[in-house]
Amino acid sequence: MKHEWSIVAPGSLPPAASVPRLGAVASTAAPAPAAQRLWLAVHLPRFTLDMALRGNTTRKACVLVEGEGRQQRITQANAEATRLGMRTGLPLSAAHALGEVLAFTRVPAVEQQALQQLCAWAYQFTPVLAPLPPDGLIMEVRGSLGLFGGLHGLLSRLRRELRQLGFQAVAFGTAPTPTAAHWLARARQTAPVESLAALPAALSQVPLDVMGLPARLLQDFCGIGIRTIGECLRLPRDSLARRFTPELLLTLDRALGRQPDPVPAFELPACFASRIDLLWEIHHAQGLGLAMERLLHELTGVLRAQASAIRQLDWQLHHADGSVSRHSINLLQQSRDLPHLFRLSREYFLRQQIGSPVRGISLEAARFERLPAVTEGDLFSPAKASAETESWPQFVERLRARLGDEALRGLSTRADHRPERASCATVVRQAQRARPVGTPTGSRRWPDRPLWLTRTPVPLSTEDGRPSFDGPLELTAERERIQTGWWDGAEVARDYFIARNQHGSRLWIFRELAGARGWYLHGIFE
Amino acid sequence: MTLEELMRRARLWRAGEVSAEGGLSTGFDALDAMLPGGGWPHPGLIEILASRPGIGALRLLLPALAALGRRQQWLIWVAPPYLPNAPAMEAAGLELSRVLLIDVDAASATGAAARRPTRRQQTAAEREFWAFEQALRFMDAGAALYWPGTLAPLALRRLQLACEAGGSLGVLFRSPDCAGQASPAALRLLLSPVAGSTEVTVQVLKCRGSLQTRECRLAL
Repeated sequence: MKHEWSIVAPGSLPPAASVPRLGAVASTAAPAPAAQRLWLAVHLPRFTLDMALRGNTTRKACVLVEGEGRQQRITQANAEATRLGMRTGLPLSAAHALGEVLAFTRVPAVEQQALQQLCAWAYQFTPVLAPLPPDGLIMEVRGSLGLFGGLHGLLSRLRRELRQLGFQAVAFGTAPTPTAAHWLARARQTAPVESLAALPAALSQVPLDVMGLPARLLQDFCGIGIRTIGECLRLPRDSLARRFTPELLLTLDRALGRQPDPVPAFELPACFASRIDLLWEIHHAQGLGLAMERLLHELTGVLRAQASAIRQLDWQLHHADGSVSRHSINLLQQSRDLPHLFRLSREYFLRQQIGSPVRGISLEAARFERLPAVTEGDLFSPAKASAETESWPQFVERLRARLGDEALRGLSTRADHRPERASCATVVRQAQRARPVGTPTGSRRWPDRPLWLTRTPVPLSTEDGRPSFDGPLELTAERERIQTGWWDGAEVARDYFIARNQHGSRLWIFRELAGARGWYLHGIFE
Repeated sequence: MTLEELMRRARLWRAGEVSAEGGLSTGFDALDAMLPGGGWPHPGLIEILASRPGIGALRLLLPALAALGRRQQWLIWVAPPYLPNAPAMEAAGLELSRVLLIDVDAASATGAAARRPTRRQQTAAEREFWAFEQALRFMDAGAALYWPGTLAPLALRRLQLACEAGGSLGVLFRSPDCAGQASPAALRLLLSPVAGSTEVTVQVLKCRGSLQTRECRLAL
């Protein structure tokens, strides 16, 4: 029996979408305009399981179970479990008989938060998107096709980046309406549907269980022999509404584009917080590499979505005994470059002691800063500086992460006549600007100074009243008297001489004028 | 492929032929005249073996380091045995805003003879070696100077490759006991004082290219 669909929804239909008549030739309908929206649904069938396994690579069979007690059945299984024969619907006890298996259960709050996080990450592809609980996203991509290289380019990029985040199983569905795209994704029909007119044909073979109907309704449909959406569409509308529910009719109309299908607006979270729990305890920093990389992938995706960068990474390690240790990595320059952040974090943790074994790691980033539009280098700088090579602040950060903040020092002079204060090692804070060529230096009027200073003056032994260091020292040149420092209490009273020993080394020694009048070595003329 | 093409295309070096690599002028005419390439091999690894501190190993390099500073390139000092004295460096012409000092173990002994290293000192030496290698690989580094403890020949090879990768000048200051050890460095110099005068004898132990004379005397 074939019936004509003759209802036209008021107002909000896209123009030129004509009523499809089953059994009639549809080519007389005018083509849909190019500005029509294209919805992409991303379905992650193993979402919960992949979230649990993100932090480790494991060859064990892992399954997700639902139910109580002896009724626990498998709902999701990873590749290794599938290979051993554990399919969805199998009781857990039967799975244990097939081989060693790790079982996980769902925590709905964690799942929901993770889905919101994934939406924030996917915001970099389009601003019109929403989560489809429990395990999917819906995105409007018509406007993004140009930037990402067409639908094919966008899908391959999404697949690759989701795999880097840790989601191995991904299915896409593309249709002019969100509901239809969702159903196509869940049915694993990846062929894109470009126009509303082609929708009924595309949906005709899709099984009914993708619609998310209650089990009783599905059973009723099975009872009357309806298994696919196409068969459902052929039933008379009024009897469908009467015998089942009016919502069912509304859903079908939304899928076919006759009724508006609104998608709630997604609000971007203001900060980033994500956590990965590890399957087993980690004792060394090397074991954290994969979890850190996955968290940083998420973070850089969220940063790219908001065109921002960060200056501080807050890592938290959740230890087996329940304590949480916080580690902050500060950056000299704001960045959202994934390899750079990963290198910094890895070298930081290699240097730190982890302490007690770690069960989970989380990453937080609170302050997002807008990236400045100005670039650092200029067009005519020497050929060595290019976008791929490291800049000076990145290099210094990398060294600091590995060696510690105290190990790096700059050098500068101070206006002080006491030699140990005239030269000071400064903390390297940020990229220093060079002094322009030609500015006069103040030290030209000073007499000869040694290139090296000893850290503290070294007392010299005396032979026959003459100082000796590696042999007797012969004093050359005039002495130089350096005295007082009353303004800060570090008084000195010394007579400095340049001395040469028998092996040819030139040394800078002094004699105390007060007290013991001992001889000391203070510098070496290298 | 004919012999001429092979000579032209492949990196073949014929003994007697002066090296075509650009040299960074040392600032001392006698040394420039002696070294192949007319100066320090840039990029390349240089080893300076000085029998004593204070005879002028660093002073030998100062003109070249000042030239690099004028080109706004960075100068990285790894594990210096003493504290660098800023006014003296400035008087010698170094660009202080482009100087970075890396000292992992700030309380380390000043150039003491090698005691048996404890475990903590060993890891500090490894970290210094890593920092030196990273400094050599960094593109904007003009030169990096290092005062190592003991180095294996394989480690020297890594440093030589890092110099070429980063296009920088790497200088190692070692003791003359290492003169007998084989080394892949591009240039090896031995400094010894001349008794009774302020001059220093610079002897070339190894270089790339042919030499007219093996040693010269400089007043540093």
